[in-house]
Amino acid sequence: MEQLLAPLVGDASPVTVIGLCKNAGKTTALRRLMSELGDECLGLTSVGRDGESTDLVTGTEKPDLYIKKGDLFATARGMLTLCDATLEVAGLTDVMTPLGPVAVLRALSDGYVQLAGPSAAGQLPPLTETFLSLGAQRVLIDGAAGRKSLAGAGVEGVALLCTGASLDRDMDMVVAETAHTCWLFARKRPENPALCAALDGAEGRFALFTPEGEPLELPLDESGGPKWAKLPRRPLVLWAAGGITDPLLKTLARRGAPTVLAAADATHVLAGRAALDLFLRNGGELTVRRELTIAAVAANPWSAYGWHFEAEKFVNALRQALDLPVVNVKEAQA
Amino acid sequence: MKLTLELRENAGLQWVLEQLSPMSPFGKTAARDLPWYGPGEETALEAELDNVALAMELWAAGAAKAQPAEACGCGPSGLGPDDLKDAAAALRGVTKQLPLFHDIRGSFDRDPGVPFDLVELFEIKHFLVTLERLVQAYAAMPSMQGVAFPSLAEALELMDPEGRRLPTFSIVNSYHNDLAPLRAEKGKLEKAIRMTQEDKRGPLMEKRRQLAVQEDQLELEVRRMLTEKLMVYRDRFLDSMDTLGRLDLTVAKAKLALRYGCVRPALSADKTIALRGVIHPQVAEDLKNRGESFTPLDLDLGRGCTVITGANMGGKTVSLRSTVLSLLLCQCGFFVFAQSARLPLFERVELILADSGPGAGGLSSFGKEVHLLDKLLRETRGQFFFVALDEFARGTNPQEGAALARALVRHLGSLDCVALMTTHYDGVSDVAGAHYQVAGLVREIEGDEGDDPRKRIARRMDYRLLPAPPGAPCPRDALRVCRLLKLDDALMELFQADL
Repeated sequence: MEQLLAPLVGDASPVTVIGLCKNAGKTTALRRLMSELGDECLGLTSVGRDGESTDLVTGTEKPDLYIKKGDLFATARGMLTLCDATLEVAGLTDVMTPLGPVAVLRALSDGYVQLAGPSAAGQLPPLTETFLSLGAQRVLIDGAAGRKSLAGAGVEGVALLCTGASLDRDMDMVVAETAHTCWLFARKRPENPALCAALDGAEGRFALFTPEGEPLELPLDESGGPKWAKLPRRPLVLWAAGGITDPLLKTLARRGAPTVLAAADATHVLAGRAALDLFLRNGGELTVRRELTIAAVAANPWSAYGWHFEAEKFVNALRQALDLPVVNVKEAQA
Repeated sequence: MKLTLELRENAGLQWVLEQLSPMSPFGKTAARDLPWYGPGEETALEAELDNVALAMELWAAGAAKAQPAEACGCGPSGLGPDDLKDAAAALRGVTKQLPLFHDIRGSFDRDPGVPFDLVELFEIKHFLVTLERLVQAYAAMPSMQGVAFPSLAEALELMDPEGRRLPTFSIVNSYHNDLAPLRAEKGKLEKAIRMTQEDKRGPLMEKRRQLAVQEDQLELEVRRMLTEKLMVYRDRFLDSMDTLGRLDLTVAKAKLALRYGCVRPALSADKTIALRGVIHPQVAEDLKNRGESFTPLDLDLGRGCTVITGANMGGKTVSLRSTVLSLLLCQCGFFVFAQSARLPLFERVELILADSGPGAGGLSSFGKEVHLLDKLLRETRGQFFFVALDEFARGTNPQEGAALARALVRHLGSLDCVALMTTHYDGVSDVAGAHYQVAGLVREIEGDEGDDPRKRIARRMDYRLLPAPPGAPCPRDALRVCRLLKLDDALMELFQADL
């Protein structure tokens, strides 16, 4: 098999496969990567999977993964009946799901499995550790689909971003959205080390700093939210722990002085392109506490809704708009 | 007797329980559902106290700063220094396993016809392997009374037929004759599938699917068989978990007793209480955090009602709570927070506080204490009980209140009980069996006017309880206390003029 994705992710672990929307080709990319990494013992888990075998949103079948003998995976107790590989229970995590506790299993034969791992970001690192201690050479995470569901969903290591026609009928729109997400993921930590240290120490929902990392008092209203109108009229760095939304960006854009907005990481930026453009055009800057890396973009010209794009045109448009490797996983397979 | 949350909290037992650190889910259950050793259960209580003493000796001997000189063969275990060291190591071996247990009681609450799933079987094997290690360690130490583990060797043999004690579980081929050939065939097919181009795998995958269904059916048969056989040992499993809980709780009690220097209570045969150097650990800790220290108390209580009088803020209520806490701890099989304690076993221990917070169900504080007292007297008819009452009847007019308090002291004197009551009313101690008075504001100190009023009172207060003659008048310290609390000058002037 042609090595398409494996060279792009290199030695990185974990690799999180994320989708811009449902049916963006996440599973196809994951399967492709698994077969390209056929010699490695893999540890597999998923984020934000509800355990339904049919996708409730689009009605499409949620595909099984066919894994190889020796691979490890995490799933909820209630999902075991959906797995047909010969299994060995290797451990039990303390993560509870509606389908029971999450167990770590080893496949004693090839076979189909369903993943259902922990969804909270903090629960992923211990699971990754468990996989490695049980002999996994690399961890693959079936990540969330849809930019809003990515927030805080623990994108570890490098990400493989899947995008496709299912996002919108309009190809230009899909390309622009993909470029927007890639731009967000390319945000860096601030260059000033003192400011980096200040952000690392930030604990509240919001905090205010000078561009040099000096803490400033943030005036609060009765409900505990910041009094935006009272912010000093000079360059400021605002730390926001939660999601970065349209109203927040619009408020800061109208503030009348440049603002550097610091988010926990790129997945926390939930705002749309329009609000972000407004913020940036008014002198705003976006920085992150934790940098994330997209290793490659996988393009799926087929949608689950009946329309599709011309594969070559779509891939080329993406390549024009992005600085990242773009591959069409389906085409390469055929 | 039921240990209500209100009693546990008022007496400070809840605080003590929060200091306990059971390590297994079974120990946590045992600590939530404490046994109550009543009259007639002296032997069982002594056995539990023996267990705590043994665990204390072994735990202390295993501590990093163990003093070998203590191992003189005169401890509860009767072990010499070398044997004691081994036994201490064995107890550490036991406690090392305790946190590893998961609660699998839920899995055994089932119809034997419903097979365990793979994760449940893994949990059962994990339980059995951990239990085996614990039992091996336990066998190397002097055994605790009533702590014996039923054999689950056959169950372990069943779950680990190869005897490798690996921390994993799978349905191995040896469980069913047809498994090995089927899995071999399926494995061969899977290899063939790997060698075949993806678009030509269809028929092979269909064949594999059929074999996988067959394998699943065989595995289901095996799980049914295992479930049926394991459920035969259900009572032994539940019994083991119960025993683990008791063992865990006993060790937790021992660690608590070592940490706080608690003493083993002696059971008195003559229905009297003798406490020497008793403290209330919750209050003591609170004081310590404020840079003050707790004055240990001595108390002898005979049948009937003993009365405590003394200055405001003189620690009268704390002495009630300390006494009740000691009784509750003893009757739950704990060591007590004292230098020595001799206690009888009561069928019921109660603490009635004048202001035990809201939730009195439409009753005033007076109404509530009368209601609680009435309930207690009704429920304890013919029983040997203990009751502590804090300033009983203080919430009504002084004349009637004093009369009611006196009547109650008289009445309690005629019942089969030990009672302790604090009061500010004169004339109550006249009819009491015994009378204690807080030594009170005895120390003359000058020049600390700028300090925290609480500290100034504490500095002047001698909190000791001293035996006083019946009828000795209640001290008149309210004025001094108010002065120390810096009550408004104009008000103080009027107050003083009116005395």
